[in-house]
Amino acid sequence: MKKDKVVKGIFYTLLILLVIISFIPFYMMIVNATRSNGDILQNGFTLLPGGALMENYDILIQYMNLWRGFANSLVIAVAVTLLSSYFSALTAFGFAVYNFKGRNALFILMLILMMVPGQLGLIGFYDLIQTMGFLDTYVPLIIPPIASPFIVFFLRQYLATTMHPSLLEAARIDGAKELTLFHKIGLPILMPAVATMAIFTFIGSWNNYILPLVVLFSPEKYTLPVMLGALRGSQVAQNLGAMYLGIAISVVPIMIAFLFLSKYIITSISAGAVKE
Amino acid sequence: MSKMKKIDYHGYFFIIPFFLIFITFTIYPILLTFYYSFTSYTGMGDPEFIGLANYARLVTDPYFFSAFYNTMYIWGINFGFQLGIALLLTVLFSDIRLKMKGLGFFRAAFYLPNLITIASVALLFGILLGWHHGTINHLLLDLGIISQPINWLNDPTTARWSVGLIGAWMWFGHTFIILMAGVSGISKDYFEAALIDGASRWQILSNVTLPLLKPIMLYVLITSLIGGLQIFDLPMLITDGMGAPEGSLNTMVLYLYNQAFKFNNYGYAAAVAYGLFLITVLFSLIMFKSMYRKNVKEG
Amino acid sequence: MNNVGCSMKKWLLLFVVSLLGVGTLSACSNNSEEASGSSEDTLTIWSFTDELEEPIEVFKEVHDVEVELTIIPIEDYPTRLKPVLESGTEAPDVFTGELAFIKEWVEQDYWEDLSQEPYNVEDIEDDFVDYVFDLGRDSEGTVKALSWQTTPGGIYYRRSIAEKVLGTDDPEEIGERMSTMDGMFEVGEELKSAGYRLFPDEGAVRWFSQGQDPQPWVNENDELIMTDGRMNHFDYAKELREKDMTAFAPEWSPAWFEAMDGPVSYNAGWDEVDEKETKAEDEVEVFGYALPTWGLHSVLKTNVEETAGDWAVTNGPNSYFSGGTWLGIYKDSDKKDLAWEFVKMMTHDKEFLTDWAMETGDVLSYLPVTEEIKSEFSEDFLDGQNNYTFFLEEAKSIDSNIVTRYDQQIDTMFGNAVGEYVEGTKTKEEAIDEFYNLVQNAYPQIKVPNQ
Repeated sequence: MKKDKVVKGIFYTLLILLVIISFIPFYMMIVNATRSNGDILQNGFTLLPGGALMENYDILIQYMNLWRGFANSLVIAVAVTLLSSYFSALTAFGFAVYNFKGRNALFILMLILMMVPGQLGLIGFYDLIQTMGFLDTYVPLIIPPIASPFIVFFLRQYLATTMHPSLLEAARIDGAKELTLFHKIGLPILMPAVATMAIFTFIGSWNNYILPLVVLFSPEKYTLPVMLGALRGSQVAQNLGAMYLGIAISVVPIMIAFLFLSKYIITSISAGAVKE
Repeated sequence: MSKMKKIDYHGYFFIIPFFLIFITFTIYPILLTFYYSFTSYTGMGDPEFIGLANYARLVTDPYFFSAFYNTMYIWGINFGFQLGIALLLTVLFSDIRLKMKGLGFFRAAFYLPNLITIASVALLFGILLGWHHGTINHLLLDLGIISQPINWLNDPTTARWSVGLIGAWMWFGHTFIILMAGVSGISKDYFEAALIDGASRWQILSNVTLPLLKPIMLYVLITSLIGGLQIFDLPMLITDGMGAPEGSLNTMVLYLYNQAFKFNNYGYAAAVAYGLFLITVLFSLIMFKSMYRKNVKEG
Repeated sequence: MNNVGCSMKKWLLLFVVSLLGVGTLSACSNNSEEASGSSEDTLTIWSFTDELEEPIEVFKEVHDVEVELTIIPIEDYPTRLKPVLESGTEAPDVFTGELAFIKEWVEQDYWEDLSQEPYNVEDIEDDFVDYVFDLGRDSEGTVKALSWQTTPGGIYYRRSIAEKVLGTDDPEEIGERMSTMDGMFEVGEELKSAGYRLFPDEGAVRWFSQGQDPQPWVNENDELIMTDGRMNHFDYAKELREKDMTAFAPEWSPAWFEAMDGPVSYNAGWDEVDEKETKAEDEVEVFGYALPTWGLHSVLKTNVEETAGDWAVTNGPNSYFSGGTWLGIYKDSDKKDLAWEFVKMMTHDKEFLTDWAMETGDVLSYLPVTEEIKSEFSEDFLDGQNNYTFFLEEAKSIDSNIVTRYDQQIDTMFGNAVGEYVEGTKTKEEAIDEFYNLVQNAYPQIKVPNQ
């Protein structure tokens, strides 16, 4: 027993060390965001914040309004999450409840195409969006995720195990229409699974970089990652303090949101993994 | 499912929106890209058909091969550390004799880097890893770990290792959560039975935990590989966007992006996309096959 | 069956509505953008530098209009701007072009023809420095863009350091000493032994390695040209590194800017320092920066506080020029009159340009103003030096024919190749070979020497 205690002590120390490694880059980021360029360059590493936060903020915000990028990313991610959740549920319901010609073939086709990496069609996608006149709009970022094969697959599997056809039959006898069946019965049953997927969709859209990089041109429409990318090579990059601050602005709100949502997010990841 | 379901065409209405969008924005672009891969399209004027010339160039293009090599190199480091750390943590927390506490806290703490936008991570490490004026070098010098500042992002080896390890730092928490989910799917009875049999810690690990975790580890491997083959944001933003130093961070998707959107060689970039696709398919097949063979052996 | 029809209709409606919803969402943002953009008095301008910010303030006051300036970092600028110009959606009314891509852009159908009515810029051709005006012409002779500046380069240096180490801070004398490569390295040695560094990084010598006979990167036969000067750059850069004459502050990095305003930390020889048991080498000061005219107001002045007034500018081993901003009117702009007013003010408004030159020290290409101010010019930042006469003299040797549309990318690749040689990761031959391969890979149509 005593030996176990010592061993446990060592393990906890190692775990804490790992936590420190996980957090130290963020800590350096926050400290350096409050220091002036000269301070960072001359005095190197320190644990104590400096007094140049406002100067850094002025330099940064004068060049680029990162909050605007935040808002843009948020609008897009929310729209994508809502649309892809709703339409994926709709599609999954269609596949799970009805028996129609070609159902299995279509489902398998969808599964195969699920394996195709997103970058395969990038050039054709860019060309298509250009032809449609949707370059520099949010359409190519918001509409295509309506068709997300993986989410449909996940939701269909979920429906197949949780929904009894008898439920639907009873409602049909009461004269409910098919779409009503979906809204009144299918969607509520699917809700937990939809919520799980919604988290991934939201994070995926929030972090998406290559697609907005390719289709957006006007800086005021940039998403947060694209704005950050544009800081590199801009005059903000001349000042390390301002650069750190820009990164911190993109990171800290996510950290705060995570404080409140961590349990939920982690449960979703666990659920997503086990249900495969 | 035993009951005969009658044919019901309502289903079509439910799946039509999905397929409309899917065909327009996924399938059509893939086919269009395929067509462009046989042309010398530069984004202006009409594409000129040049047959297999782009593919002929692709199979002899040293930069494409080095991009493949770099991608695998970076992914290898990333995956090795990511899985290694996550596995150690899982073993530690699933040990029923130790009864480690604080799983909720540690899980959350380790997962956090995964939520941060990769662009932020890349920029952050791009400046933290600076040479004479990078904070990480300053810290290591202060601690006496190094005696000279290391130019991390200017040497191919340290640059690849940096990117690989940053990837591992971002993902080990995620993998840890998934592995823990796998362990909690294992019935406690197995462990208790093993304990009663007087099995040692090591025996439990190698005879119970690891074999039962195998399917989920394969799942982690495949998703990580498919993601790893597409690594782009981190190598693009951490140095000059062209794969510096010495092209060591030039990954396949970065190469594709630069050929298309920087040099306007859309036709060739389309061929690069299909090259990347073929490689992905090949790797997936190999893995499915090896998984299948192992199952047969064990069965 | 009734059910089917009804639910289908409902369903379609829902689908269309949701599509429209998103459509209007994006349309909304478009509209609001356009609403502000197309209102009578908002001019939109795109550029890659912030140097237009102050002129825009002036313009807003004079014309009582709103101006929206969008700044995009130069490495992304062409990639971002091109699709906007081609599609025309939310394109700017005025946009600038840098020297590195001006040649390519005047050939495209993006800028309004300024040779015709109502602009008639041919009438004022004689008012401009020749090469500046010519670079705005396309191959058929049509003028598409104008510029207010001329961009010869020199070496800006710290007077106090010069005085202390070289015994004089006089630009003429120092220019005399640095008029050859050997002379420049001698000065570097002297600075080194006094604890100073000649340049912030190795890139600074690239202008002087080219020698008196600079060549374009790519000639009219699509051949890459590797001159002896370019080859020599490898050796000069390596020499600078080996003789420890730089402060390891790469061009445009934070350290590079910081070194303008005083000592920066320098710990390359950490071990060495311990041996000598001195702490003096922890910090180091940089003597000079190779920068063109605009480097004075948009680089030095904006980043320097402590050392303002302690600077002077002189010549290096040879003349060179770098950068420059042209501007023109987008051909489909619906506010061409206002746009022209801005271009006019920026390029040939005597009153504005005189103020601009006096305030910034920027060297203009508009002769009526330069003729008037050059003899009396005195720049406080340079301790009263007349940088105008110096640069106007240097401008005479500018040969604009060496500009090609590949310059930006090829310069980057070349810089990397030199860097790899300096770092010692490649031999000179390997680095050059790799450079050729990279150029070939990016631009398959260019013929490179190693093939």
